[in-house]
Amino acid sequence: MRQAPEEYTGKLRWPRLGQDVAVVAWPSFLVASVATMVCFGFIDPVLVGNDDYPPPAFQTRMTGYAVGFFFFWLIAALSSLMTLYLVRTAHPEPADEGTDDGTRSPE
Amino acid sequence: MTEAQAPVGGELYAARQKIYPREIKGRFQRLRVYAVFALLGLYYVLPWIRWGERQAVLFDLPARKFHIFSLTLWPQDFYFLTWLLIIAALALFFFTALAGRLFCGYACPQTVWTETFLWIERWVEGSRTQQMKLAKAPLSGEKLVRKGAKYFLWFAFALWTGFTFVGYFTPITELAGKLVAFSTGPWETFWVLFYGGATYVNAGFMREQVCKYMCPYARFQSAMFDKDTLIITYDEKRGEPRGARRKGADAKAKGLGDCVDCTVCVQVCPTGIDIRKGLQYECIACAACIDACDEVMEKVGYPKGLIRYDTQHGLEGKAKKVVRPRTIVYASLIAVLIAGFAYTITHRNVVAVDVIRDRNALFRELPGGMIENVYNVKILNKDGAAHDFAITADGIPGLQVDHGAPSVEVGPGEVQSVAVRLRVPRGELRGGSDIHFTIRTLDERALVATGRARFLAPTN
Repeated sequence: MRQAPEEYTGKLRWPRLGQDVAVVAWPSFLVASVATMVCFGFIDPVLVGNDDYPPPAFQTRMTGYAVGFFFFWLIAALSSLMTLYLVRTAHPEPADEGTDDGTRSPE
Repeated sequence: MTEAQAPVGGELYAARQKIYPREIKGRFQRLRVYAVFALLGLYYVLPWIRWGERQAVLFDLPARKFHIFSLTLWPQDFYFLTWLLIIAALALFFFTALAGRLFCGYACPQTVWTETFLWIERWVEGSRTQQMKLAKAPLSGEKLVRKGAKYFLWFAFALWTGFTFVGYFTPITELAGKLVAFSTGPWETFWVLFYGGATYVNAGFMREQVCKYMCPYARFQSAMFDKDTLIITYDEKRGEPRGARRKGADAKAKGLGDCVDCTVCVQVCPTGIDIRKGLQYECIACAACIDACDEVMEKVGYPKGLIRYDTQHGLEGKAKKVVRPRTIVYASLIAVLIAGFAYTITHRNVVAVDVIRDRNALFRELPGGMIENVYNVKILNKDGAAHDFAITADGIPGLQVDHGAPSVEVGPGEVQSVAVRLRVPRGELRGGSDIHFTIRTLDERALVATGRARFLAPTN
């Protein structure tokens, strides 16, 4: 029988830290993008805090959009991080029928 | 499995090994190349197209206006975007129900840019075997030059991608001038590098890992599948038991199926899976294994299609049903939404009026027994042409409108603020009353909009 090509092992995975960073950063990026669009569809950043005093929060719209985007990203990332922490630290679920080792399948 | 790849000591997370997909030719790969050229071509060319005096497609964030050819969208038109997103989501459901992850294989930016980066890699480093050899080779002048050239080309391509992205938001010709002179603004520089950097990392290094770990669609796609969905499958009945054989040998006599176990389908897979194990969520439906297997089947003289697009029902020998309630419902919903969208966007009101009461005084009593209120009337002209507007108001008998001119001219895509004085004879009302402002174009194209406001008068 021929040797399977060496890179195929069926066990290709990222290191755990890489996975954690990805599952926190990426979904929160998507959510932040949508939140930014919706938020600034309704609010003009140069008008934020623009009553007589104090002066407007943002000097230009581009700054307002960028700050808004990173703010949403941060907030969403914190939520993702907490979810990840809760999932990672939970007790393993009871084994499915048919498995007997009591651990969750890594798949 | 070699030593290094075996999980040791219960370690669940082995380091990722780079996948070197083998190049393959075939009808589906040709289709994918067309898709890459069409989509990336559109992406890189669109910002350079002119429409009259301006860029044809420009999302002018500083001015809060989106230009798409003859159309100009304002923040008030935001719901069109929501509408478009709903259509896009339904289209995704439709195509997934029809033929699985068509989007992933042919249209997803991740796939499309990864494909381009793979081309660059192949062009600089050679075929799959040459790439693997180079990776294992000790550091040498040639390795340094080849690797360096690859990273440089990737970097240049990613930078161009980031530049194009920002070109959708800032006039691209100006941006190009600024880029050449190294004088781009701070946010422009940042977003060029941010988007370019994301392209570089996603398409150069993360590749299929994005699909496996970061893509939500990959996980919930199975909810949209049914037994009539076309998916890329290996015909187990025909292929098994697999095994190598000499050319011309009678496989049936040896008890073998049609799969010669050449593993080419595994070598071409960009996500490194074995399609013969059945449908897996890592599969991005690029159909490389179909082309690869067809080529091998042809060489060994077996019929093509051992790996093919087929439905679960098809594999069981039942009829394939492309037209079925699910696809009909999705298709008709999409058709209705697109028709509605097209109608609304071409028939939307292109003028609007916004009335704000003057905050400094509730009202003023004029000599001669009139009560005066002052308003700031903002006229929005979203049309592509300038218009003359007349301002009228109603709601109280004897209401007089005064803004110092018979009409107001508002240029295309502009907002004009007008200070308007309304006067009412003192006896006509006590306290306050709702009134309506109406703006009306004076030219042949009748455009009308109304805005509500409050008129205040003394209570005695």
